[in-house]
Amino acid sequence: MKILDFHAHLDDRWLHKPIPDASHMIAAMDRFGVGQTCVYTMMGFYADTPRNNDLLLERCRRYPDRLIPFVTVDPKEGPAAVDELERCLEFPEFRGIKFHPWLQAFASSMLEETMTAILKVAARTDTPVLLHDGTPPYSTTFQVADLARWVPGAKVFLGHAGSADYVDPAARLIRDIPNLYGCYCGSRPGDLAHLVETAGADKITFGSDFDPGSWELLAERLDNTIEAGLSPEDLEAVLWRNAERILRPSGS
Amino acid sequence: MIDAHAMLGDETYLRLDAADLLRRMDAAGVDLAVARPMGAGMIVDHRAGNDLVLKAGPRIRGLASVNPWWGAKALDELARCRDLGAVGLFLDPARQGFFPTEPVATPVFERAAEYGWPVLMKTGAYIYADILALAEVARAFPRTTFIAGFGGYADMWFELPMAIRSAPNLLLDASMIWGAGIREIVDRHGPERVLFGSAEPRNRYKVVLKTIDRLELDEAARRAILHDNAARVFKIEGGRP
Ligand SMILES: [Zn+2]
Repeated sequence: MKILDFHAHLDDRWLHKPIPDASHMIAAMDRFGVGQTCVYTMMGFYADTPRNNDLLLERCRRYPDRLIPFVTVDPKEGPAAVDELERCLEFPEFRGIKFHPWLQAFASSMLEETMTAILKVAARTDTPVLLHDGTPPYSTTFQVADLARWVPGAKVFLGHAGSADYVDPAARLIRDIPNLYGCYCGSRPGDLAHLVETAGADKITFGSDFDPGSWELLAERLDNTIEAGLSPEDLEAVLWRNAERILRPSGS
Repeated sequence: MIDAHAMLGDETYLRLDAADLLRRMDAAGVDLAVARPMGAGMIVDHRAGNDLVLKAGPRIRGLASVNPWWGAKALDELARCRDLGAVGLFLDPARQGFFPTEPVATPVFERAAEYGWPVLMKTGAYIYADILALAEVARAFPRTTFIAGFGGYADMWFELPMAIRSAPNLLLDASMIWGAGIREIVDRHGPERVLFGSAEPRNRYKVVLKTIDRLELDEAARRAILHDNAARVFKIEGGRP
């Protein structure tokens, strides 16, 4: 079965810990039958966001058929963040937007004007926006879900579909908010079955959260998917069909 | 193999009864499971929840759970559970509503110590389920074995190695934590600090066993995690390694 991983990280380090290069990511994808992977920065969440966007794009260009970069910006910068987003979206390779409010140190409610402007750019360019969720006090599942209500034309993803402790609220919010989706990352088979049953298979996508130094995580997260007992159609929807439908059309 | 953490009952979207757990154990080659109640049977209706796990048959051993806010009634229920063969205490501070370090919980820990029971506590969400709060209690009761249920999954994972280091009587329940997290505890603190658990019906035997397989542990370490540690901690016989 075809697999598109909607949530992974590509960088040369996380804090003090070096991360091997993208060839290790491709090797893991080959080993587990993953065709394409959406990748986000790590260090760009902390500093030098524009430079990290450029580095991510450069790394992905070595494997244009396999890696799909997501741009991030620092909304604490106000209008400059919107400009940086527009700059990056000039590159057709960037097909999604990622935020990690916990690591990036902002609550969206504190930056309503900038986040609204960013979501409007996302809506206009048909680019999905994925945010880390499941973690107080900046990234609770409820905080992320509210963003979808601010700009109903934007496609907003709970980046962990409720993570460890918010699975049930996540399932209900995805069901109730038309433009809210869930990328499960670490959800266990019992969690995934509930997400699909409640919110519908068409709004849930597979993500691994792995990086080139942690191939085991990709294997574990595929195991969680396979063991959830989904129907063949639902499995296909979460493993690639939804992601392919929702990503910014390539070449736009 | 001995599963150190299964769940019976009905909680939000999770549901499992003893017959279904036994089927899953058979399919995975698991000999014994240590189960605790979930849902109302764990949070408020202790008699029903504890009976569910304590009367589930010879291959399922029960952990008793009580809400410490019940005071003397909670201690009476623990006595009843001991007579029914409970092998330890289970607490879920986030759902039962207490800080592990606050005085209301102390008599319950004292009772577990008196019975020689290990204490499995769910850790994870920050406020009441902080894994470092469990480490505080573990240091206060050095002769009792404490098990970090779910290993702080998800976002307290980075506190796990230091918590384990800070209290020699604190062990990891590996049912929900990723392979790299398990490996770190095995490498730094030894395989005797890790228990195989399934978190059924939230997780699956197959997922956890494959995660442990990928660690490529030597035979002694594997045996400790899959069987010997649980047999020692819960004082149970049986269950081929
Ligand atoms: Zn991530």
